[in-house]
Amino acid sequence: MRANNSGCFPSKTGRVACLLTSLAIFSPSYGQKQNNSVSAWEKDLPESIGDLQAIQNQIQSKLQMVRNTVVSVEAEDGAGSGVLVSADGLILTAAHVIGESGRKMDVVFPNGYVAEALSLGGSELSDAGMLKIIEPGQWDYAPIALANKSGVGDWCFSLGHPSGYNEKRGSVLRVGRVIHKKEETIQTDCRLLGGDSGGPLFSIDGEVIGIHSRISQSPEDNFHTSIESFLSNWEFFLNEELHTYVAMQKGGFLGVLCEEFQDGLQVVEVVPETPAEDAGIRRGDLFRKLDGIPLDTREKLSILVSSKPPGSFVVIDYLRDGKEISVRIKLGERFVKE
Amino acid sequence: MKLVFLLLSFLIGRVSLVGESLKPADALAPEYRLNGPSFGEVLGTAKEHLLQSVVGLFRNEKLIAHGVVVHPQGLLLSKASSSVGAGMIQSSQGQTFPIRIRKRDEIKDLALWQITSSPPLWRAVTWKGEHNQTQSGSWVISASPSLEELKFGVVSATSRPIGREGGVMGVLLEESNSSDLGIEVVEVLPQAAGDRAGLRVMDRILRMDGRPVKTVEYINRMLQNKDPGDLVTLLVNRKDKEILLRVTLGHRAVAFDLFNRNLLMSGPVSKRKDNFPLIIQQDLPLQKEIMGGGLFDIHGHCLGINIARVDRVTNYTLPTKVILPTLNMWLKDWP
Repeated sequence: MRANNSGCFPSKTGRVACLLTSLAIFSPSYGQKQNNSVSAWEKDLPESIGDLQAIQNQIQSKLQMVRNTVVSVEAEDGAGSGVLVSADGLILTAAHVIGESGRKMDVVFPNGYVAEALSLGGSELSDAGMLKIIEPGQWDYAPIALANKSGVGDWCFSLGHPSGYNEKRGSVLRVGRVIHKKEETIQTDCRLLGGDSGGPLFSIDGEVIGIHSRISQSPEDNFHTSIESFLSNWEFFLNEELHTYVAMQKGGFLGVLCEEFQDGLQVVEVVPETPAEDAGIRRGDLFRKLDGIPLDTREKLSILVSSKPPGSFVVIDYLRDGKEISVRIKLGERFVKE
Repeated sequence: MKLVFLLLSFLIGRVSLVGESLKPADALAPEYRLNGPSFGEVLGTAKEHLLQSVVGLFRNEKLIAHGVVVHPQGLLLSKASSSVGAGMIQSSQGQTFPIRIRKRDEIKDLALWQITSSPPLWRAVTWKGEHNQTQSGSWVISASPSLEELKFGVVSATSRPIGREGGVMGVLLEESNSSDLGIEVVEVLPQAAGDRAGLRVMDRILRMDGRPVKTVEYINRMLQNKDPGDLVTLLVNRKDKEILLRVTLGHRAVAFDLFNRNLLMSGPVSKRKDNFPLIIQQDLPLQKEIMGGGLFDIHGHCLGINIARVDRVTNYTLPTKVILPTLNMWLKDWP
């Protein structure tokens, strides 16, 4: 008997979802594209049955190319999904599917073939996780989208093994659009269920743009870890490092809240009485690098800072009023809020 | 347990460690979403035609199911187990008409209803031929006149038969060391069939329907061939006394799914969602009351009858291929 997957989407999803969706405030920013020469899926809305047919044809052709790359990921206590992204068996999944690094898990292919895999790293912050198939082989794999290629309004499709692997059913397709994208999270109206966790979200071009993470109470807005989170921290995840909340508690502490911008991280808040405040960091500063490493995601900043012990030094390059400033900061200890 | 902890810490993390944006983030406006308010307009005039061929079925003024018009004289096809007791339909124009059941097929879970005080002509659906292959990724549409809406989705998995779930007692059983001692009840799920029949932990089942039972597997096999609602008689040894218990078998869904978080996240699902000769699986966001209505392709052809809401990502549709032999036989009475 297949393991029941009910463990895979954490039960507090409703509450998390509430927190996150409250930020998705309606704003009619989606552009007015009405050029007849664009593909059906690039229009604001499909305008004819012909457009629907074109979207269908596009999805079906890409579906054929990627369906075999979507696997079920199983352990004693539950099952999720994953997607192969390299010929030597690297699998992207969710952090809450692998749980920890160095864990042996079973990977079930659409045809029922079972391969053993080892969990690598990931991040509990974004829910990104990696696995690697142990046995050598040449596996079918799906292409990954470049960073910032996907955006709000894009058509997309989800695959996964909701409620666990089912040989006769196969992986399950859902179609939708990107309805929100911010930091390490993509939100779509593709409908998801437990067991989908870790499965891929594809662009209409058949490239992985996200990994299923959490469901919301409403079936029509669900959460995916963005591919950018993986791309930004690829080596860290590959090296079997798992960015956990425990590590964040124990590691070094800076004391800023940031938001991602095109060329860095903008400081939106400096916490009083922290190393950041002591070093003169102000709201509005744009962090560019930490110890020479470009900062493209706030998750990366979190990983870099908390992987150093309190008391160690980091050098931060930032922009203020167009001027490049470099500052050496002694990391502190995270204080626990009441 | 670990997962719950992770998520809690995710919550804490979002709030206290990272913080959220101070600016409202850009979201896709509802009208551009799949199944947003304007999406159905893509079908043009076909939208009205679709809505006209589907009706809502009501029991005591409560919407319980949908049905499709299969004959201009006001004959409707619906899901039998969901439309039980329906007395009235509402058309896409909001008019109501009394209906009466004419035929029923328990195996396919189909029922034929007739509008008894009918205006002259109804728009019957056009079935898509028996040989259609509904491929994953094909658009599918469901129409609900009562809710004045169309829902769009795709065929999402391989078409296949769905096996019988069987009836359940809602107890966990264990074989004793000596088979003469019967099969021991080690857990009784509260409010499930066994509990209601008075079965208790430590009871030892000696016979089921008069037959001696020696293995758990044997009991399971017997139950598999029965349906929810069927009665089984158990001869039970309780504290060295033999007693007879009658258990009315329950639904697997009711007994066990209470403990299945996926279903907790899914909302109400169809009572009967098993034992179909063939289904199309699709991802439409449908309430269970939409069952019995039609599934259409983008050209407005009817691909089948929505037969079960299984969970929040899964609906089953009984395809034309399964429906037409039964329907054509039924319609012989109405030239």
